[in-house]
Amino acid sequence: MEGLLFNVNNGYVEGIVRGYRNSLLTTPAYSNLTQCETIDDLKLQLGPAYGDFLASLPPNPSTSALASKTTDKLISEFRYVRANATGSLAKFMDYVTYGYMIDNVALLITGTLHERDTRELLERCHPLGWFETMPVLCVATNVEELYNSVLIETPLAPYFKGSLSHQDLDELNIEIVRNTLYKNYLEDFHNFVNTHSDMAGTPTAEVMSNILEFEADRRAINITLNSFGTELTKADRNKLYPTFGKLYPEGTLMLSRADDVEGVRLAVDGVHDYKTFFDAVSLGGSSGPGNMGGGSADGKSLEDMFYQKEMEISKDAFTRQFTYAIIYAWVKLREQEIRNITWIAECIAQNQKDRIGNFISVF
Amino acid sequence: MSGAADREAVFPTRQSLGIMKAKLKGAETGHSLLKRKKITRRIDEAKRKMGRVMQIAAFSLAEVSYAVGGDIGYQVQESAKSARFRIRTKQDNVSGVLLPAFESYLTEGNNDFGLTGLGKGGQQVQRCRETYARAVEALVELASLQTAFVILDEVIKVVNRRVNAIEHVIIPRTENTIKYINSELDELDREEFYRLKKVANKKQRDNAAADAEMKARREAMEKNESGASKQDSGPADILAAEDDDDVIF
Repeated sequence: MEGLLFNVNNGYVEGIVRGYRNSLLTTPAYSNLTQCETIDDLKLQLGPAYGDFLASLPPNPSTSALASKTTDKLISEFRYVRANATGSLAKFMDYVTYGYMIDNVALLITGTLHERDTRELLERCHPLGWFETMPVLCVATNVEELYNSVLIETPLAPYFKGSLSHQDLDELNIEIVRNTLYKNYLEDFHNFVNTHSDMAGTPTAEVMSNILEFEADRRAINITLNSFGTELTKADRNKLYPTFGKLYPEGTLMLSRADDVEGVRLAVDGVHDYKTFFDAVSLGGSSGPGNMGGGSADGKSLEDMFYQKEMEISKDAFTRQFTYAIIYAWVKLREQEIRNITWIAECIAQNQKDRIGNFISVF
Repeated sequence: MSGAADREAVFPTRQSLGIMKAKLKGAETGHSLLKRKKITRRIDEAKRKMGRVMQIAAFSLAEVSYAVGGDIGYQVQESAKSARFRIRTKQDNVSGVLLPAFESYLTEGNNDFGLTGLGKGGQQVQRCRETYARAVEALVELASLQTAFVILDEVIKVVNRRVNAIEHVIIPRTENTIKYINSELDELDREEFYRLKKVANKKQRDNAAADAEMKARREAMEKNESGASKQDSGPADILAAEDDDDVIF
């Protein structure tokens, strides 16, 4: 049924995004990249995919310049798609940007708290999370003003309201603020795709629920693992877990009680995917999950496996027709591609070729 | 030979040769002792170590940016309130020179940005921090060596002057002296030999002359003896005539 009228409004955008997906780097392209000796070689190899955007780079650019230029391409494509989107698709795309917006707002809050000139921070903000009224936030000189501006000017107001007060911004660690916002955002997004009349019951709801549930679980697991040994209490930690996902509610409850990695392992035991991740990590002989640097060069970290899984889910999204989820998936795939390119560039620049294969390629 | 002039004013005797040889040996031992540039070597090692550690640290930062997928520098800067890694100084006494030595230590329970990357990449952030702490440790070590080096510089300069003096003046001069003494002694030897030869020659010649004289004398004597006996028979009339012819003025 959804196929009947989907293309009336969204056919063009879907076509464009599928075209973008086809221009993603493939495994042979990556193996060419890893053969490069210098960043200039890398730039040359990226020519077909990124041509115009890399043209303005100086010879032997820094990896961060490379990353920002490759991000520019994503931004310009995203903006083009966004400009062509209408109705619920446009709203959906706005939702995609909210995650970046949260990061930007958190950055501005940090700046305001430390009484820095927040205008300088605007350059550091992620362009995807840019919103027209963002410079207005820089006018705020104290946290209370900022809090009010955020409530008035940004689409993030619902995420603040009810869970954070302006005193909280002052007192809580910015990471807790950020993760509270993110939790609210994920729940709202999940709710949006499952209740909006254009999406409920369509492949969009199905695929997006899958993606968002994974994202929620990943955050819950990561927050738990990263909070060991910090001042974050178990009760506070529990508040940061999104209230949906495969782990919710039993898994998250167990996560909130976990004291160590073993506790996390027990908590995720019920979900096959995560169980395999944990088993693989412990088989890898590393000292703990997330062991990306330590010593094992080939052993994948939990973080790597989450990224891998995310990419597979995103890739699978393209097997569905008539769904908005491909846009989300495409953005994630492109982000991973940018990370991959940056990683390869770093390995080349720092002459650490033995770890160069540590990127994720799904095509 | 230019070095011929650059030698000590000694008489080329065997005794002074012995003295010079002992002096050269002493200079060489002293030179190798002083030349052992202990601090410079340790600084060199520390710098190499720093290079390695910094490389690992830079790479772990790359890992962080891969895992977090963005720049966390600002958050980390802003959330750091007090230093976790501190140093204290103490004084070392190295052969009469007071050197400050830096010692690093970690303050317990200071985890200002422990929550950075809570959502993702937290472990990488923490590991990166540990790697950089090691890098800073190497830097501190290097710093205390460098400070020691600067302070010891004066001392080292004097020592270096001594090393250079030994290397470039004393040793060559002593060697030249030894060479000179050796050549002089050889010369003397040769002269002595020649003199002995000459003496021997002369003696031989004298002997030969003496022998010849003796022989002649002996022959003459023999002749006289035989002449006296022959006078009666031979042409003795001349002698007889002489006896005869007395000329009186």
